[in-house]
Amino acid sequence: MDPRIVAASVLLALTSLACSHVAPYERGLLAHPMMTADDLEGPAAAHVLAVHEGATGGGSLAESGCGCN
Amino acid sequence: MQLRPGEPQASLARRSLSFAVATFLVATANARPAMGASDPDAPDRPSTDSADTEGKRDRPHAGRKDDQKPEDTATKRASIELAGYNDSDHVTVVTPSVALGIENVSGASLHANYLVDVVSAASIDIVSTASPRWEEVRHAGGLSAEYKPHDFGVGIGGSVSSEPDYLSYGAYATVTKDFDEKNWTLFFGYGFSHDTAGRCGAGGPCTPFSVFSRDLQRGSFNGGVDFVVDRASLASVTGDLIIESGDQSKPYRYIPMFSAADAAKIPAGASIEIVNAHRLPERPLEQLPLSRRRFALTGRYARRLDDSTLRLEERVYDDSWGLIASSTDARWIFDLGKRFDVWPHARLHVQSSVSFWQLAYVSGAGPGWNLPEYRTGDRELGPLYTTEGGFGIKWYLGTDAEPRQWALQLTGDAMYTSYSNDLYLTSRTAVLSALLFEGEF
Repeated sequence: MDPRIVAASVLLALTSLACSHVAPYERGLLAHPMMTADDLEGPAAAHVLAVHEGATGGGSLAESGCGCN
Repeated sequence: MQLRPGEPQASLARRSLSFAVATFLVATANARPAMGASDPDAPDRPSTDSADTEGKRDRPHAGRKDDQKPEDTATKRASIELAGYNDSDHVTVVTPSVALGIENVSGASLHANYLVDVVSAASIDIVSTASPRWEEVRHAGGLSAEYKPHDFGVGIGGSVSSEPDYLSYGAYATVTKDFDEKNWTLFFGYGFSHDTAGRCGAGGPCTPFSVFSRDLQRGSFNGGVDFVVDRASLASVTGDLIIESGDQSKPYRYIPMFSAADAAKIPAGASIEIVNAHRLPERPLEQLPLSRRRFALTGRYARRLDDSTLRLEERVYDDSWGLIASSTDARWIFDLGKRFDVWPHARLHVQSSVSFWQLAYVSGAGPGWNLPEYRTGDRELGPLYTTEGGFGIKWYLGTDAEPRQWALQLTGDAMYTSYSNDLYLTSRTAVLSALLFEGEF
């Protein structure tokens, strides 16, 4: 099997084991606006990184390609 | 947008976007408002279940007259941004953009965005081919819709990017499922995009795609899990597999070739004069492999502290061209009262080269030349590292009761990239700044 798939599976298993159940009424801190997964920076910053770094991935499915580089 | 009415690609893109809008409208029309009320226990998800949306749902009616009208329970968001980029390789980009969103209490949402890149470049790659300063405008837009009435959600979206010599369009679909009172959420998505690269003269007309073009198809699989670590921490792990098929070689990129003896004499960061003095007469176009598989694994972690929020991200990357990379990103956001957030930002990106990377490519004598099968001058495929440091400040301009309703945000970052084995450059410095104004109403 591909070692990358094995590594991802092991990482997922370890992270799930490390978590504890948090009831909905205990999530006041998690509801803070800065705890969202939204990017703090706009589309220009993400695009600059995509052009500067030859390694895309881990981002959004939503962006089309460009002939920028 | 520079979409041409007669082009089948543009027509297909328009049909895709029309289909996305129609699907969303049907989903919204069939939504049952009571479904949103059945899930009051999820304050942590940055989705349509936001506290503000809940507040709108509970808002008392103003009077009997309003009772007779359908209540507007939607939350609308809008933002505009102006960003500027400049680097030591004489590249300047100005990017205005706008984003709009509307979220319904039933769990339906629709988002749209549009941006323009105005690029002006006189980089070493352009100057070395005796070409004049190059200027270009790129238009890009996207539309997405999501429907997540309870613990299962679906989303679709489409995007288009258009330059005079490049057209890209794509569509994607996602599914999400919450488990264990939303302590963890699985998500999966698939996207497909099609790129067409053409060629334009220096400031002149472009060759029609029907005469010259190169196609690139891209399929992207994305999946992972978001989870609650403890009462103050969230995390996620995401895997991406991207399969690209087609020729993504740049039709403007000519590669200097050297004899074996001269190639050994060429230092990294050589001047144009040194390269021209040693290179062979032949200067072939770039040629990249016709397929590529990319794999990325990304971990994100956010922890809420007393008066601050720590956000960390690590991404590792590998692909079938032999490029291996690590990107580490950190932000520590401090609350300064109700009106301001400020944060420092740091990022480190390190990567190896692709397997066919050469500082100076070697070929034989004419007329056969015996060119290497693959050759590139794209230094982002070579060995490099980039350090980045910056700041952000967000000023909340709303009322005392809802200060976050309106906000103004300024960010600035400086980047230093070191190229250890590039023909023309050994380093590049760049600055990126952006001013964002956003509102929710």
